[in-house]
Amino acid sequence: MNNLKWYFPKAIDEATELMKKEKVLPHASGTGLLKRNLSNLNGLINLSDLELQYSKQKNDTIEFGSMNTYADIIAKLSDIDENNILVKSLQNSADTPLRNRITIGGSIAFAPPWSDIIGALIALETEIVLAGQNVGAFPIAEYLRNSKLKKNSLITGIKFKLSNWETFSHREIRTKKDMPIFHIVIMLKIADNRIQDSKIIITGTTNKFDKLNEIEKYLTDTEIDEIEYSKIEKMVDVKFSKNRISNPEYSNKLVAVELSRGIQKLVRKNK
Amino acid sequence: MKGKFIINGKEKYLNFEADERLVITLRNNGFTEVKNGCMEGECGACMILLDDKAVHSCQVLTASVQGKKILTVKGIGDLHIPHVIQKSFVEAGAVQCGFCTPGFVVATYALLKSNQNPTETEIKKAIDGNLCRCTGYVKIIDGIKNASKTIQKERE
Repeated sequence: MNNLKWYFPKAIDEATELMKKEKVLPHASGTGLLKRNLSNLNGLINLSDLELQYSKQKNDTIEFGSMNTYADIIAKLSDIDENNILVKSLQNSADTPLRNRITIGGSIAFAPPWSDIIGALIALETEIVLAGQNVGAFPIAEYLRNSKLKKNSLITGIKFKLSNWETFSHREIRTKKDMPIFHIVIMLKIADNRIQDSKIIITGTTNKFDKLNEIEKYLTDTEIDEIEYSKIEKMVDVKFSKNRISNPEYSNKLVAVELSRGIQKLVRKNK
Repeated sequence: MKGKFIINGKEKYLNFEADERLVITLRNNGFTEVKNGCMEGECGACMILLDDKAVHSCQVLTASVQGKKILTVKGIGDLHIPHVIQKSFVEAGAVQCGFCTPGFVVATYALLKSNQNPTETEIKKAIDGNLCRCTGYVKIIDGIKNASKTIQKERE
C-alpha cells in the first residue's frame, strides 16, 4: 500500500493547478514515469480526460495535441505528408504496442538522450505549446535547454510548418530493441541539381543535440555533383559521453559515415 | 483503489494498488491468460487490446485506464470456441512452449482487424513488440498468413 494519489482533471487549468502541488506529476500514458520509483511521489495527474488528442491544420502549419500517441501522429501526418521527417522518425521508434501508448507531449517532457523524435522536431523548427506557469508557443530547442520553461508548465500541443523536404532518419542501434546511441536527421531541399537548403541534427550527444551548422553551410547552394563527401565526413565533430556500449571517438566516426551515406541517398534520388 | 473496466465485453469492478501495472491487476483478478514476462515492455507476453489498440499491459498503470475496454486472448477465443487465428497458429505449428502465444494472438487480431490482407513486412511490423524464444518466428508468420487467408475466404 502506498499513498500515491491520482487526480483526474477534466480541464487544462485544473491540471496545471494540480501541477503546483509538491511531488505531483502529470502522467501522459507513456512509459517514462514507470522507470521512476513512484513511491517517492505524492500524486499523479491523469491527462487522458483532457481534450488533447486533436490535430488541426491552418494554411501550412499543423498542430497536434500533446496526447496524440506516436501511432496517432504517424496515421494523421502520413495522410498529409508521407515523407515528413517526423513520420520517418516515429515509424522507427520503439515498437507497435509502445507506439500505441507513448504520447508526443510526454515524450518531449521526458526527452531522454535516446529519444528518436527530438531531432525531427528540432529540424522542423517545432514550437511547443505550453499552459500553466509559462503560456504560449516556444521553440523546442529553447524548451529543451531552459528548465524554467518546464516548471509547472504543461505541454498541450506541438506545431510546425509543412514543407517539401527530402528526408532521412538513421538510428544507430545494434539490435532492433536497442535504444539508439545517436540519431541522425537530414532534411534537404534540392532543385535544379543544387541543394537549396539543408538541416542536419544529431541527437544523443553530450549536448543532448547538435545542429551541424558548418555542414549545412557547406551544402547549401552547392551543386549536387560537386559535393565532396570525404570533406563532409572530416567536418563531423560531435561529442559523446563514454558509456559501456559505445566509445565516443568511434561514435563520432559512425556519425560521419552514416551522415555521408544519408546525404548521398537523398542526392541520388534527385539525380 | 477500485475501478470499473470493460473486460472481454463484461463490466468488471477490480481492486488495485495506486502504482499497480495492469498486467498484475488482471492476473490478480483471474485473467491469467495475460502472461507476465519481462515487465519492461519488451517481450509482449502481456499484450492486450486497450480500446482496440495493442499495448503491453505491463507498461500501463491500472488507475490511468479506468473505464476503458480491455480485450485479452480469451476474449478473442478459447479452448471451446477457438478463433481462426488460434486455429491457424496450431495448424502451422506456431506454438511450442506457448508462453508468448497469447501476446502473438492479440497482436495478430489487432493487425487483421484493420488489415485483412497484410504483406509479410506488415506482419513483421505488427509483431515487432512480441518475442518468441522457441519458434524462430517462421511458423508464427505462416500462422498469421493462414489466418489472413481463412478470414478473407470467410468474407467472400
